[in-house]
Amino acid sequence: MRSEIDYQIPRSALSWVLLAVMLVVAPQALRMPLWISAIAVACIVWRWLIYAGRLGYPGRSLRIAIVIFTLLVSVSQMRNLGIGLDSAASLLTLGFVFKLIEMRHKRDIYVVISLCFVMLMVAFLYSQSAVSSAYIALSVLVTTTAMVALNRSTLLDNHSGTFSLSLKMGLQALPLAVVLFLVFPRIAPLWAVPVQNNGAGTGVTDEMSPGDIAQLGRSSELAFRVQFENSPPPLHENLYWRGLVLDDFDGVTWRRTRRGSSYAQAASLNDFQWSWEDRVRLSDDVIDYNVIMEPTQQPWLYGLHLADPMNRELFQSRNFEIFNNGLITKRMSYDLRSYRGSRTDLLLLDSVRRRSLELPTGGNSQSRALAQRLRADTDSDLDYIYAVLARFQQNEYFYTLNPPLLGDNRVDDFLFNTMAGFCEHYASSFAFLMRAAGIPARVVVGYQGAEYNRYEDYMMVYQYNAHAWNEVWLEGRGWVRFDPTAAVSPERIEQGVEAALADDPAFLEQSLFSRSRLGAMDWINTLRLRLDAIEYEWNRRVVNYDEEVQFELFERLLGEVTEEKVVLLFASLAVIMVAGIAVAIIWTEPRTRRTPVDRLYLQLGRELDKIGLGRQRGEAPNDYCRRVCEARPDLAPLVQEITELYLELNYRHADLQASRQRQLQSRLRSVLRQLRFRLMPVLKSQG
Amino acid sequence: MQDSFRQAFRKRYAKWVASRVPLTDSITLNRRIIYVLPTGNGLMFLLAAGLVFIAAINYAVSLAFGLAFMMISLFILSILYAYNNLNGLNLKSLPTAPVFCGEEASFTIELSRGNKKSHEAVELAFAEHSPSHADLVTVDRDRVQVFYRCNKRGRCQAPILRITTYFPLGICRAWSLINLNLNCIVYPRPVAFSMEQFDSGGGGGEESALMQEGSEDFYGFRDYVPGDPLRQVAWKNVARGQGMQLKQFVDYVDSRVWLDWDMFYGFSVEERLSRLCYGVLKLSREKQSFGLKMPGLEIPPDSGAAHRDKLLRCLALYGIE
Repeated sequence: MRSEIDYQIPRSALSWVLLAVMLVVAPQALRMPLWISAIAVACIVWRWLIYAGRLGYPGRSLRIAIVIFTLLVSVSQMRNLGIGLDSAASLLTLGFVFKLIEMRHKRDIYVVISLCFVMLMVAFLYSQSAVSSAYIALSVLVTTTAMVALNRSTLLDNHSGTFSLSLKMGLQALPLAVVLFLVFPRIAPLWAVPVQNNGAGTGVTDEMSPGDIAQLGRSSELAFRVQFENSPPPLHENLYWRGLVLDDFDGVTWRRTRRGSSYAQAASLNDFQWSWEDRVRLSDDVIDYNVIMEPTQQPWLYGLHLADPMNRELFQSRNFEIFNNGLITKRMSYDLRSYRGSRTDLLLLDSVRRRSLELPTGGNSQSRALAQRLRADTDSDLDYIYAVLARFQQNEYFYTLNPPLLGDNRVDDFLFNTMAGFCEHYASSFAFLMRAAGIPARVVVGYQGAEYNRYEDYMMVYQYNAHAWNEVWLEGRGWVRFDPTAAVSPERIEQGVEAALADDPAFLEQSLFSRSRLGAMDWINTLRLRLDAIEYEWNRRVVNYDEEVQFELFERLLGEVTEEKVVLLFASLAVIMVAGIAVAIIWTEPRTRRTPVDRLYLQLGRELDKIGLGRQRGEAPNDYCRRVCEARPDLAPLVQEITELYLELNYRHADLQASRQRQLQSRLRSVLRQLRFRLMPVLKSQG
Repeated sequence: MQDSFRQAFRKRYAKWVASRVPLTDSITLNRRIIYVLPTGNGLMFLLAAGLVFIAAINYAVSLAFGLAFMMISLFILSILYAYNNLNGLNLKSLPTAPVFCGEEASFTIELSRGNKKSHEAVELAFAEHSPSHADLVTVDRDRVQVFYRCNKRGRCQAPILRITTYFPLGICRAWSLINLNLNCIVYPRPVAFSMEQFDSGGGGGEESALMQEGSEDFYGFRDYVPGDPLRQVAWKNVARGQGMQLKQFVDYVDSRVWLDWDMFYGFSVEERLSRLCYGVLKLSREKQSFGLKMPGLEIPPDSGAAHRDKLLRCLALYGIE
């Protein structure tokens, strides 16, 4: 029996293994703490040096030290990061690279290879985008190549052959994997896993202080993508993606009232007396759309005015905000139906009215006085609102990402001194002025605007589209949306934030390839939109393939879905696929590798076959030559030359120089041509 | 306890295998006699696939499902590939050179491929022997030597041959057990002894001793043939009127070059054969002419490789054929 001790890892296999490990560790290394990445790189380098014969395997004491070190690291990681994905991933990586340096038996290599696949799974937990999926697919391919290289015969081992074999296997495995992906019944999670990414939440938050949204304005990260299903998308100025309603103001910060946040919870509260249907007057203007949201680590979602969630796990709050059941830790797709122009809360509960009029007891006296004066000058609430908006419009207010700092009485300071701010300044002071005049008002945060991607017909909303506006309650009309920013900077709403801030140096200052900077370069813009279109389709069709979509597919295929039918479909498809692959492998002829010289020589047999002198199976070239010369002495010189050239090229080609080979080959070609000419009249006379 | 159980199982298994594979000179591997099972490494690979799958379920990560299914597809594919790597492989037994007892016989097998197949990284081995490797990718046929230690004098019949492949991924092993008609002669294990100690033994008696004309001992008379040296003519006999007769002298040196069964009195059969074998080898290396005497067998003295092989064969097959 072969002992495992004297097993030598084939050198070419080891280089593939190392390449696979590097590909697998790279994305983790970017996410992990720097010192763990450094250890990972050191281990790979060490292994490389063992491979090159410069260093030995780690000794026993070092191995023990490594185990103790790993244990210590795991304890400290769990204390620092908590028991979550990040700490688990970095521990896995550590164990993985340590295993690498003591890998010397075949079993060890397979441990490393199996861990490679587990690490790739971890990479999917972080990102399932088209780009990272392509990267992971490449890593799978390289890992498979490493396995092939381990088992190939050393005599036949060349990198390109090994790689093409593994590519062939990968392509053959793909159809089966796709069928399994489509029809293998998806199972609900076996146990609850706390998916806890330690990254802070991104996007709009449930608190708004001056400067918060301006911060988002510097980011060109994608927030979400939207596709309208059976209607053209609304005009840009109507694209208000409503996020959260903030109705609690302490003089600096607007906050969301947390009491009774969910619709379901609220229903059980005493002051909630009416059902959803009683509170809204729905319009006929229905619009359906699908949103694919980037992970935010927050629970709330975005939709147009009065959005009704179509998915089961979403719910709506009393303020018609939409929430997910749990934090959004990965890309999420949901369907919404909006009733445009619907009215909400025609009757206002006293508790809500009270909350929507609340102001801090002191401070901002100038603003309060202004509100009193203006309200006294106007006839109705609506006129008062227009008067305030007109004030924003007619005075020297600026829309800017870099407003000056504000003093203690922020609203006063902004309205009368600095007069420059981003949307949150306008929304905040507008709501203040409303409340000071006794009109129920609140701040809404979300996004405004979108970029249209014509290649796949959907819209992209970026972080710099973040926006804040107001809702004011009017008698007989319910909550009505007003946007003071539109009064200051109409182009922000009509054309988008890029147009409004085109001259502001702070806009998108953090992103290198921002849209506005590259906007002038048309082809880059086209490329960017096309790439995003691929990403979008990938998400819609592949990443979002879940239980629900699978059920729809089954319904389309099977009609009524029963367990037996699903099992039968799955079993039959799997059997057909495996049988198909088996047939393809077992009954297909491997392509015999013929050299160009062989192919030229075979032409001789084919040409002579036309006069009944074809080469017999297995007949040696010399024997064949003799037979032809006896039968047709006139052809002898040509056939003899061809045979000699062939034999020289075929059996002495190691001794021949490349130029000489080419020379002989072209000579062979020309003699064959002569032979063909000679045979032509024969054919004609026979015909 | 456990060991004896394992041995009993092995015996059973070997018996079952032997009943399935008839003795043949040539065999083409097909689905009836190719077996495929995952290796230990393959089980580890499946474990990793299971881990990926469970993570995919619990974190509801769509593409991790894809990864798990890709791994399982690769596994299924590797079963088919491993099977196909053996399917259609033809093995033919070729004659094998004799060996001495205790040596490894190198059984020669000719491998040839079906016209639609190629076979790579195929290992051939007898149980508990190190494998020989063969590839049929660029060539249509090839010869491979498979080693087997022969520990018994006589005719050695190769046991069941195992043909294994881990190609291409090493997570599945395909193997086949065949009973090729491979045999060879096993000469006795040579055991050295000092030839001199038998010098005076003179076992054979003079009739059977090897004589060469010489000058030392008087042997007898023969008629004179013209040209004979006159020095040896027995002139006394001529004087007695018995005609011209020649005194014959022989050298009895050669009388000892009979290897005789009885030289090793008191040894067992195998011990005698081992020593005779040594004698044959030694004498033929010294290019002497010698004969062999064994119960029921007497081979007159001769020399040369063919003679040596004939004697060794007789020794090998003593009491067997």
